[in-house]
Amino acid sequence: MPDLSVKYLGLHLKSPVIAGSSSLTNSIEHLKAIEAAGAGAVVLKSVFEEEIYLEYAHEFDKLGPMDNNLEFLDYYDLEIKKENLKKYLQLISEAKAVLSIPVIASINCITSQEWGFYAKKIENAGADALELNMFITPTDLSQTSQDNESTYFDIITRVTQKISIPVSVKISPYFSNLGGMIRDISFSGVKGIVLFNRFYSPDIDIAKETIHGTNVLSHESDYLLPLRWVAIMANRVNCDLASSTGVHSWETAVKMILAGCNAVQVASALYEKGFGFIEELNRELANWMKEHNYETIDTFRGKLSQENSVNPAEFERVQFMKNFGEYKSGQ
Amino acid sequence: MNKIVEKEYFSDKVIRLVVENQKIARSRKAGNFVILKIGEKGERFPLTIADADPVKGTITLVVQIVGVSSAKLAALEIGDCITDLVGPLGKPTDIELKGTILACGGGVGVAPLLPIVEAFKKAGNRVVSVIAARSKDLIILEDQIRRWSDEVIVMTDDGSYGRQGLITAGMEEVIQREKIDECIVIGPAIMMKFASLTTKKYAIPTQASLNSIMVDGTGMCGACRVTVGGKTRFTCVDGPEFDAHEINFDEMLMRLGGYRAEEVVANNKYFQK
Amino acid sequence: MSLDPEYLKAERSQEWRAALRSKTKNKERTVIPRVHMPEQAPGIRVKYQDREVNLGITAEQAALEATRCMDCVTPTCIEGCPVNINIPKFIKLIENGDVLAAAATLKETNALPAVCGRVCPQEKQCESRCFYLEKMNLESVAIGHLERFAADFERDSGTSNIPKTAEPNGIKVATVGSGPAALSFAGDMVKNGYDVTVFEALHEIGGVLKYGIPEFRLPNSIVDFELENLRKMGVKFETNFIVGRTASFDDLREEGFQAFFLGSGAGLPRFMDIPGENFNGILSSNEYLTRVNLMGANSESSDTPVILGKRVAVIGGGNTAMDSVRTALRLGADRAMIIYRRSEAEMPARIEEVKHAKEEGVEFMNLCNPLEYFADEKGMVNRMRLNRMGLGEPDASGRRRPVPIDGSEFDLDVDLVIVAVGVSPNPLVPSCLPDLKVSKWGTIVVEEDKMQSSIEEMFAGGDIVRGGATVILAMGDGRKAAENMHIYLQNKKSNPSKFN
Repeated sequence: MPDLSVKYLGLHLKSPVIAGSSSLTNSIEHLKAIEAAGAGAVVLKSVFEEEIYLEYAHEFDKLGPMDNNLEFLDYYDLEIKKENLKKYLQLISEAKAVLSIPVIASINCITSQEWGFYAKKIENAGADALELNMFITPTDLSQTSQDNESTYFDIITRVTQKISIPVSVKISPYFSNLGGMIRDISFSGVKGIVLFNRFYSPDIDIAKETIHGTNVLSHESDYLLPLRWVAIMANRVNCDLASSTGVHSWETAVKMILAGCNAVQVASALYEKGFGFIEELNRELANWMKEHNYETIDTFRGKLSQENSVNPAEFERVQFMKNFGEYKSGQ
Repeated sequence: MNKIVEKEYFSDKVIRLVVENQKIARSRKAGNFVILKIGEKGERFPLTIADADPVKGTITLVVQIVGVSSAKLAALEIGDCITDLVGPLGKPTDIELKGTILACGGGVGVAPLLPIVEAFKKAGNRVVSVIAARSKDLIILEDQIRRWSDEVIVMTDDGSYGRQGLITAGMEEVIQREKIDECIVIGPAIMMKFASLTTKKYAIPTQASLNSIMVDGTGMCGACRVTVGGKTRFTCVDGPEFDAHEINFDEMLMRLGGYRAEEVVANNKYFQK
Repeated sequence: MSLDPEYLKAERSQEWRAALRSKTKNKERTVIPRVHMPEQAPGIRVKYQDREVNLGITAEQAALEATRCMDCVTPTCIEGCPVNINIPKFIKLIENGDVLAAAATLKETNALPAVCGRVCPQEKQCESRCFYLEKMNLESVAIGHLERFAADFERDSGTSNIPKTAEPNGIKVATVGSGPAALSFAGDMVKNGYDVTVFEALHEIGGVLKYGIPEFRLPNSIVDFELENLRKMGVKFETNFIVGRTASFDDLREEGFQAFFLGSGAGLPRFMDIPGENFNGILSSNEYLTRVNLMGANSESSDTPVILGKRVAVIGGGNTAMDSVRTALRLGADRAMIIYRRSEAEMPARIEEVKHAKEEGVEFMNLCNPLEYFADEKGMVNRMRLNRMGLGEPDASGRRRPVPIDGSEFDLDVDLVIVAVGVSPNPLVPSCLPDLKVSKWGTIVVEEDKMQSSIEEMFAGGDIVRGGATVILAMGDGRKAAENMHIYLQNKKSNPSKFN
């Protein structure tokens, strides 16, 4: 029986399959089912600093004439923050009490101070690791790319200075020097990088002439982007790599590991296929390993990373002429 | 109302008072405390209710003279009235049949321990009590504790009575020889800290009754705040009893010294008279 | 509490008022400048915790200011008042030399005019709707100063107007708390013949009027005077009584109380939960003000200690923060600082408080926010770290959201910190009544036009319903609750079967 265990962020996981951050990782009931299905670890739903401002706004709408309540409401966002944080920390400690697999907390903040504040509390609550879900959309056009990038490092420094549990960072692909960013982040003190998070994508409803959200779940084909970059960076980073987005089949999971992933996160697929998908992933992964004579994950991890592959250029250029030149419609 | 009807000296520093207050006597449960004020300009300060008689309409307070307010209370005689008395405050002790209870009282902490010992015994528990003080004349209520305990161990620091040693030595002895289902510790904060560390080693669930500084006692000001399990709690409304192993005793001890300078000045002024 | 146009019209057309209007032309009225409230000089007043800053206007000044009021056909000022005091009427009575009648008029609607005249944010209420301000862009009539004048005049005259009370009807009602809401409730109920007992947890009556608002803004003697009037009317007061602890609601029902007014206020301090906040020398505003205002800790003769800080930081921007920082100054601080995360214009405090604070030398550190506190080896705070804030997108309050500026941290030496970021409703009473519907933030939910809670014989008002609002609103609630509890109890009496 092949050994599916891996090390991720210095933690021992019995499987490379991690249930990534989503609304499914927000309740003890679901977390228990995820563990029962064989996940190696679980990433709790992100705490969003945004939520506090939204709730604060909501409170204002519900209370009466504001002038007379202004002193009461002036710092009320702190109360909401405390309440949200309290619930999250409770989730962490409850999860730690019932699960034996590692529990990774996740935060997403707007202002850099808050990252450190939340991180410390999360560590005290007993989380095994912390995933920083870094969602900094570059819409502030006055910021240069350097400004933007240095924010990432400010936050990482703030957090890693404050806590001793392992920290991982989930980032987007939108950097002009993505490879450089990933490499530099891997040397900044984090223990893992997760490629990639998914942005909220607004769409336009032409009937109502309004903007609405869309694209909540990933598609199968979304895996190609993280696959490429995992392969390119697998041997150039000083930390673990995990993939996120687009793992909808066991085959894709194998691909990710071949490219160089230490772990594979699944979220959207769990919505569509249920927690049984985790069992399927583990089962089929083990079968594939048996067929290909691999005893442990380490023996084939990164075998097809760019550095190790026969034709490294495949990962870099689209090989436009060769691949697309031959494409004829109808074929 | 609030008239003193009985006064007894346990020692020259420790006094038992019985005070008339029908309403508090009726509503009181073991573990509750009151806030008192002596005189117009007096300070508001807390004292655990050591006993209550709902029929007679009286409550019993045991006070140790440690500063101005406690001295003023101790100076009252039978027939005098306490200017202001309010209660019962705080959450009452959770009394249940648990099995064997280890009840530990240090110094004047034995007074609030007594009703708890009685209640646990009446609930069917086996009760082993360890009471301790610096010296013989600071050991109080031994007979009353004996009445409601299956066994009593008395410790004094100087060996002038009972066995010589700290309360933790007495506790260790009991823990080594029998299974303890719950422990309750009441006494000076430093004593409770070490008693709690003792039971923590053996994972014995332990409750400590805190004596934080208070002003109003009704949850209004936050002067009595302590950190329990990483969260801020108010001793006056969330306590005074908390899970001892979760209490940040070092912070609590630090906060008890918050007005040390002012206390020294006040004591000098008062006790010179 | 009347906005009834017919009633107002009838009052306005009375002979004496018409005569006053014709005596002086509006042209002459509008050139009179607004009266200036004489104030204790800042240099002197910072030495005294118990001396009022505002000294009160003289009878001549009052008469002149009253003349400015043009007795509008549509008095918009009344609309601005949360309890709809008949403002033109009382002002015209002052102009007519009938100050005692003016005080009586105030008392028809406002149980504690001497209090409101001092603490109401008139600039947001009545005075903001004055014709002078709204239509002529001139300074409004000084309604607040006139209200205070009339109330003080009546008190000083010794001929206090004790409103008539109806025949006692033997029905017992109780209040939980003795702040402005409960006091105005009690005043109205006793007038209707009810047997009213005010239960107060502390040893002094008055709630926030006594423990919260400092003497230099609202002397305790003023509050005591009003309390004495209530006593004379027959209201009973019991201190050191915590309803729900000293006796339960059931106990009180057994004693014959048929209905309750819950006015236990917003006595739950809020902290910011930042590192070091539990060090010694960091107090909630409730603790600091209670020590000074209620326990007299600043005086030698009081046993209660208070830290006499020399470098004091007060976090917050409301009236409580102003009260705290100005108290610190009076207690000898070399530096008394307000640390507020937004700009000065956005501070919730009364404009007059901010002005007085500045005159007294309070330092305003706006757009700053505390991050962490540090202490000496004994755990006494000695330093704090702050962040500078920028203003970002407007939040729901319409004000721009304060956003920390990265890398702007700096340290400040402090030896006393007062956290005045707001208070929440005290949970004691709701915790005793599981059937009581309580909102998410701890306030008691009531039917707004009746102030009746989910338990039919329990009415509520003031900060326990509103979160943390003003004295005048609390009083309005108390009056509305009294009016509706009266209806409820009378219905109950005539239809006992319906209620069993």
